[in-house]
Parts: sequence; C-alpha cells; structure tokens
Amino acid sequence: MVSCIRVSSDVLVLGAGGGGLRAAIESQSLGAKTIVVSKSVFGKAHTVMAEGGIAASLGDVDPKDSWEVHFSDTVREGVYIGDWRSAEILSKEAPERVYELEHYGALFDRTPEGKIMQRAFGAHTYRRLCHVGDKTGLEIIQTLKDMVLHLDIEVMDEVFITKIVVSGGRAVGAIGIRMRTGEVIVFSSKAVIVATGGCGRIYKTTSNSWESTGDGIALAFNAGAELKDMEMVQFHPTGMVYPPGVKGLLVTESVRGEGGMLFNSKGERFMRRYSPKRMELDARDVVARAVYAEIMAGRGTKHGGVYLDISYKGAAFIKKKLPGMYEQFKEFAGVDITKEKMEVAPTVHYHMGGISVNPEDCRTTVEGLFAAGEVTSGLHGANRLGGNSLADILVFGRRAGVGAASYSRSREGAASDIEASAIDAEMGRIAAMFSDSDGSNPYQLVNELRDNMAGNVGIIREEKGLRAALDSINSIKERAQRVRVAGNMVYNHALFGLLELQNMLIVSECVVLGALERKESRGAHTRSDYPSKDRSWKANIVCMNDNGKIALRKDEVRPMPADLLKIVGEEVY
Amino acid sequence: MKKISLGIYRQDPSADRKGKIVKYHVPVEEGMVVLDAVRHVQENTDPTLAVRWNCKAARCGSCAAEINGVPKLMCKTRIEDIGDDITVEPMRSFTLVKDLVTDISPAWAVARSLPHFHPRQRSVHPFRIEEMDVERSQEFRKCIECMLCMDVCHVKREHNTSYVGPRYIVKAASLDMHPMDSLDRSKFLDREGGIGYCNVTKCCQAICPAHIRITENAIIPEKERAADLFYDPLMMLLKRLRKVKD
Amino acid sequence: MTAAKRRIVPEELSNPSWRVLSFIFLLLAAFVALLLFPVPEFKGYIDPFYSPLILLLPIPAMLRLTCYTFRRGYNRHVFQHPQACEAANRNDDRSRDYTGETTPLMKIENLHRYFVYGSLLILPFFFYDLFVSLTYGGGFILRAGSILMIVETALVTLYLLSCNSIRSLIGGRNDCFSCMHAPRARKGVYDLQSFFNSHHDNLAWLSLIFVVAVDLYIRALMAGWPIDFTLFKIVGI
Repeated sequence: MVSCIRVSSDVLVLGAGGGGLRAAIESQSLGAKTIVVSKSVFGKAHTVMAEGGIAASLGDVDPKDSWEVHFSDTVREGVYIGDWRSAEILSKEAPERVYELEHYGALFDRTPEGKIMQRAFGAHTYRRLCHVGDKTGLEIIQTLKDMVLHLDIEVMDEVFITKIVVSGGRAVGAIGIRMRTGEVIVFSSKAVIVATGGCGRIYKTTSNSWESTGDGIALAFNAGAELKDMEMVQFHPTGMVYPPGVKGLLVTESVRGEGGMLFNSKGERFMRRYSPKRMELDARDVVARAVYAEIMAGRGTKHGGVYLDISYKGAAFIKKKLPGMYEQFKEFAGVDITKEKMEVAPTVHYHMGGISVNPEDCRTTVEGLFAAGEVTSGLHGANRLGGNSLADILVFGRRAGVGAASYSRSREGAASDIEASAIDAEMGRIAAMFSDSDGSNPYQLVNELRDNMAGNVGIIREEKGLRAALDSINSIKERAQRVRVAGNMVYNHALFGLLELQNMLIVSECVVLGALERKESRGAHTRSDYPSKDRSWKANIVCMNDNGKIALRKDEVRPMPADLLKIVGEEVY
Repeated sequence: MKKISLGIYRQDPSADRKGKIVKYHVPVEEGMVVLDAVRHVQENTDPTLAVRWNCKAARCGSCAAEINGVPKLMCKTRIEDIGDDITVEPMRSFTLVKDLVTDISPAWAVARSLPHFHPRQRSVHPFRIEEMDVERSQEFRKCIECMLCMDVCHVKREHNTSYVGPRYIVKAASLDMHPMDSLDRSKFLDREGGIGYCNVTKCCQAICPAHIRITENAIIPEKERAADLFYDPLMMLLKRLRKVKD
Repeated sequence: MTAAKRRIVPEELSNPSWRVLSFIFLLLAAFVALLLFPVPEFKGYIDPFYSPLILLLPIPAMLRLTCYTFRRGYNRHVFQHPQACEAANRNDDRSRDYTGETTPLMKIENLHRYFVYGSLLILPFFFYDLFVSLTYGGGFILRAGSILMIVETALVTLYLLSCNSIRSLIGGRNDCFSCMHAPRARKGVYDLQSFFNSHHDNLAWLSLIFVVAVDLYIRALMAGWPIDFTLFKIVGI
C-alpha cells in the first residue's frame, strides 16, 4: 500500500470560501470536530473577488423592503425554475446572517443613521446590498477566516482532493494530495461538505479565479450525486476587455448600481431600447444579451466591448464607493475611471447549476454528502441576482454545517477508516499519470476546452454549435487520457492541471448536454433556434451518474404553496 | 513579436541543494504582466514550474514574489513598466516549497494568537456605527494577505525574532480601531507580539500593493497605545486613577 | 533570541560601525561648536539654537532623535537595519544581532511624547524671535533673514503639531469618535492633523534644514556677508 497520512474528523469541509468556512464554523460550534480543506491558500478563495455586496432585506435604506420582496425578486429573476423553498429560506435568513457577520467583526459601510448601508443592484426592487466599498467578499472571507482560526478549526490548505470516497452508499471521506509536500492525505469523516465553488474556468473569458474549475461538481458526480440546471451559466454583462491579460476580469455591477451608464460606440445609451424601465439595472441575463447584441451589431468599441461611464459622479464619490474599480482600471489598463469611460463586455461569472441539494440541511442525493454555495443548484434557477451568492454562502453554508454536524452525531463512534483498496486504486490512478517520456502537457487541452466552450456554448446557443462542442469535448477527453506529466507530486502544476482538466471535462459535458436538452430560452440559457420561453420547460434537467456516463432526467419544478405564490404571482408566458 | 528575457528562480529543495536563475525568452504583448510571462513559460516551456496564482486581479494576494529584488504582486506588475530584463524570485522570508512557491502557513499560528474581535458588552443589536468611525478600520481591511510586508520587513527577513510582523499589526489595528471592539491589542503586541522590534523603517508601507499606510496608520498608533500602557508614567497614573474611581 | 533581550545597549551601539561613530561624532561636534561659538543674537535675529537658552537644546534634540521620521533615517542609513527595501541594497543580514527598540536604552523612543511636550513649551520662543526680528529698530521691518525665519517658524510649528504622538493624543487612541463629546469637531481636528501628519517626513527634514539655515544665515551676517537686504520697512511709530 502507498504510504499516506491519515486524518480523521466528524465533518470534512472541502473548500475554504465563504460557504465552506461558514459551514465549518457552524459544525465546529455544534461540537463536531471539523477540518477544512482547500485547494488554494487559506483565505485566497474566489469569495474575495465578490465585490458588490450581500443581498439581505434589512430595509436600512429602503424601509419598505421585506423578505417577501426579496423572495419574489429571486424567484422571478430565476424565471421560476429555482427551488421556491431555497429562495424562501434565503430571503428569510439573510438578514440574520448579515447581523451575525457584524458580530463576528465585519465592518460594513454605514447609513447616516449608523445602520448598514445598502446599495441598488440589478433587478432588486429595493436598495438591498450590504457592502464594504467594492471589496465585500474580502471582508467576508477575512471575517470568517478569523472565526475559523479562533474556533481552533483545523485548516489544511493547498490540498488537492482527487476523490470523495463512498462506501456502502455513504460518503465516508476523501483522498487528496498536499500540494506543498506531495504527500497523500486520506481523510475519514462521518460527513463531507462540498463547498468548492463554481466552474468559470471552463470558459476562456471569465471573471473567476484560477481555482474555479468545477472540482466539487465533478467529485460529487463521481461519488454518485445528482447535478441539476447544469446548462445555466451566468454571463456578467461587464467584464474588462483590455488589455488582453485581464480580459474577463469583473467590473462590478456596483458601478451600475451607483449610477454607471452603458453606451455603444455611437454614444447611444442602448439600454433604453432593451429595457426602458430598468435600464442598466435589469437582470444580468438581459443586460448581458443587450451588450452582446450591440457588439455583434457592429456598435462595439475598438477592443470589442461597449462603454461604461461613471465619471460624471466625480472623483471623491468614485474613490469612496468603488475604490477597487478605480485601482483596477488605473493599474491594469491605465484608465482613470473618474475621467474616462471603461470598456466592458460580457464575461462568464457564475454557475447557477450544480449539485442537487435539499435546502433544509443541504444534503445531496448521496448519504453523508452535503453541499453549499455556488457548487450547488436550485436557489438561483435560471439566473442569479447580484448579491444573492454572498447571501447564499452564508445562509446555506450555515445550514450545511448544521446538517453535517447533526448527521455526524447520528453516527456513533469515530469515523471509520477508509479501506486500503480504495486508497490503492486512487493512488494507482494518479501514479499512472506520470511519465517522463513525452512532452505532452495538459495546458493545451485545457485551453482548447476553454476556447470550445466560449465559442460554442456562449450567451447565445444553438444546436449545431452545441453538437460541435460535444464532439470537441469527447475528443479532448480521449486525448486527455494519454497526457502524462513529468516530475514529482510536489507542487506540480502539470499534475494538478491534468486532474482539473478531468473535472472540467465532466462539468463541461453536463453543461452542453443540459443546453442541448433545454429546447427553449430561459434566463441565462438562450437558444437562437428556440428563442422563446416554453411552458413545458418549467422544469429542471438533472444529470445522473450512470456508471460513469451522464444520464439526463427532466424533473418538474415542485409547485409553490399558495401563500408564497400569492407573493410572487404566476409565471407569464 | 517583442521578446523579453525572464529569469526565474528554480529550485526543488528535495532534489537541488542550491537554486539557480534560469533564463527564458518570452514574447510579450501590450498590457502583459509578469505573471502572464511566468505562466507562458509554465504552459509552453516547462509545465513543472511551480508558481502560485489565483485571481489574477490583485485581490487574492497569491502571486507575491520578488521582481528584480523588489517584493511585488506578479499579477499587478506590468512588464512595460519594468523593462525587458526581468528576474523573478520567491519571497525570502518564508520557507521555499519549490521554485517561486513558499510556505506562508506558519502565519496562521500568529493569526490564532491575536486576540479576536470582542464586542462591547452594552452594544445594541443590531450595531449602530457611525460612518466616521469605520474609515480607519476599513483601511486595514483592504489587506489581501499577500505577505509582501512580511517579506520585506527586515525583522522577519534577516532577524529571527518573536515579532508578529506588519500584517498582524495591521490586523490588530483593524480590530482595535473597530468602534464596537472592547479590547486593546497593543498590550499583546508589546508583551508577546514584539512590536518593539519594528524600527519604523517603513519598507512594508512602501511596497504594500493595497496601499495601506501600514507604518503610519497601524504600527505607529499601536506603538503609541503601547506607550500609554507601559512606558508613559503620566498615562499609567491616569489609568490607575480612573480605575480607582470606577 | 533570549540573549538579545538581555542587552541594555543595542548591538549597533555597543559594537559600532564607522557610520555610527561618524554620526555620533557629528552630533557631538555640532553641539560643541554651538557651545564654543555662540551667536545668541545679531541685529534683531535670535538664533534658534540659543532660544531661549542653549542649555534647553537637548529637548528639541531629543525630540528629533526620538521622532519617528528621524528614527527611520538613522535606522536605515546609520544602523543599516535595513538600508533599503530592495534585495540588492539592504545591507542587513542574519549574522547581525538585532534588538530594535526593545533594549532599555532604545525604549526611550517610547517617551517621544515628553520631548514633544517640552518642545511645545519652547515653540512660543520661535514666534517671539520672529516678532523681535520683524520689529527690529522700533517699527516694522521685513528683511531677507525674517523671511527665512517666517518659513522656519511655520515649518517647525507644522512639524511639531503634525507629530504622531499628538495624533494619538487628539484621537488616535480612541476607537470611537461618535462616542465622545463634539464628535464632528474632534474628527475634523483629527483629520486635519492626519493630513499634516501624512507629510510629517517632509516637514521634519525641511524644518531641520531651515533651523540650520537660519543659524548659518546669522553667522554669515556676523562674518560680514552683505546679504541681508531689506524688502519693506515702516519706521518706528
């Protein structure tokens, strides 16, 4: 047997973003010994990139706001295929989570009365996003990190998890490689929480961090969990376009929330045509399609974007409210946004789809396996509102922590050791990836996949492109099996790149299959060959693991109770 | 296409006793940053080159390194700003893992030792906090924990002392200056944190990629607070008198 | 570094380099020169070093020696801990013992504020000296030397008031402005002081240069240099 380090805990949390940390805080507080594992350095998770704020109906700025309005906004903009119970929990619990964060030490911007400042955001009826300038995510991660450290939760960062171990139909732990030392670590645990975030890196142009390769989705899928809404990929309307090195980097929606306006190269404020009422602050799918259409119609800028202008607000305002954006443009593009316009174009931002979970305790379809955050599906439906993801990770991070802690309590004794055969099989799989012979490396294939997804599975999709995407994925999959990496296990990017590629292929295939299946246009999913919304598709597409193959199932959205339906109103076709 | 000469420090401590600078020639395009060039080498020349990066937007602080001897974020350093002969080395204050990657995890132990946020007893729920009181603390919350300040600090880099380092004084200051916090961490910083080792040479402030005025706004105020507690006889007397009155 | 903790005098002083020796020599030489060649007053110009009394000079001298700006200066360029931030020019290394401001001798840096208080008491004399120079001969007279003194007095005042210890005293040590009386006024004063404090380094060096310049100017006049032209004059009332 390969030598390895064995670690045991009650709850194992994969992912140290906001969701993972919040889950760990809860489960440890409930008495379950918790370990947090993350692929990147502790505190560097993609949550730090969240800029705009966290949506919670505190009503500190607009007193008329309430959970009902937040709920209604979430369900409507998710185009009715989101899970109503998730949305209900989110809108009811978000304020509590925000106040709790404040008691953990977070420091939000304030209103003149000393309450929490809230800003306007796309498709939110009221000003609802609690924020810290445009660095809200950083504040959240630092605050949660402090809590984790002071609760003495064990953190193992830079560990690449290659497998969630399932035994007797239950998730019992995971196997991973500690990147800094190359050691194999075997985690045995009574419950596992997946909180590994999204998969933006399957696309060429994305606002996501390097680590967002959909690992958790693939790990859970391989463990037998069901995935849902995989075709729903959110394009953020405003990403940077120039210089090429930062193409796709997010330009926060707060720019528009604080009054930023979009113009095409003719100087026309084109959102007047696409959304006369909400203008720039319509839902992300609407604005992204509008920007895309303007660029396609030849009304784009030199670098293939449109203009976003906030300069009229004045330098002092911009530096206070959007300090990150000011620096980002100044340092990366040499553009002073207090004087000049920004050039922006849509960028892949979020994955509404993911692991299918029960919103009550975040359990997946595999016993002992829980999930929270972007890696899950259900809450956002076909389109996510800005600010709802930070609310999501806190609300459902906590629920996953409660769920996993009480599940682990229900299983007596210590976590059972992982069988040697499972470890050997996994180590054998990884050992087979090494060879010094050929010079092949996974990066070319990764880039090919990302180009393919961007070209064929973009904002506007059609059958032909999707078929081509599928062919390309199959071809890459086949070639990926022959890629070998050189060197050893210590911080070997080629090895981790290859492991990630395998995860990205699974996720990409699910995205494409879902997109092919959904023959309508709804939310973020737009088919040029099926341009309208179809009543028969008020349903979710579920991806199941059928002996390693992806099998699809169409599930009707579960009907909303009458009292909630009264708040939202029936869907209009 | 224009090419630059890029020297990258290479060492696998498990195999090589000493590291060396390996020169690569990398084509550059407009707006390219050092990280792009390093990644170009990784993707096209040597896939085993170890480099840590994540957000590529100067928000996560993963890609800290010494570029031409100056601690900087690779993702934020534009090649056209520093010329076409570039050397990239790992941070010297931390133990090397491989090539450009160092182990910054010992810092978490320091973070754990720092007294945590402790809200005042008689605070209302939810908090009422004035905007004028959040500014100071919020400056420190811009910190992305790239650890460049810990790298450039001579106390951490050249002298093995008990000093917590600039990052954790900034952290302490961000909590101390939180209007709802009830603790004074200057006590910890003076007794256990070794704040006396800082000789205000301001390298940390000079290189901070988040533009935090580390020395002026965090370290010096904490030193002054420590002076109130332990060195200023008048202040100590006043404090004692006030305690007696309570 | 338990051994280092027992030091009373830091290594850089107990085992001084030529940089340290010449720095100490320069300080002593300047003080001796000031004692040996006094110029308390000349044609209505009172030399800042002698105002009000040369024996009080150690107070502003200690003010500057314990000032954060000059600490940075000598820690870098005299003690070389480190000389520069970039790797090539640091001139600091692991083999050297380092105690920073933890030894009993260097802990005096923590008493900076008392030298500030002392200097605040001396500060009015600068204004008095300025007044004397402007009213030399009975009326109002503006000479080149007075302009130098106006700049000097302004810089010294701003330098002293922008001090980090004062910043702590007037609000830096408080966590919550809104919890105190007159919060807006207090915050306003603190912000204004902080603005000048952010230029403290420049003020420190400029004010020092101008104090020396005034002293040299007076000495030049005594040596008979014809540089003290009058710009403006109102004869005595």
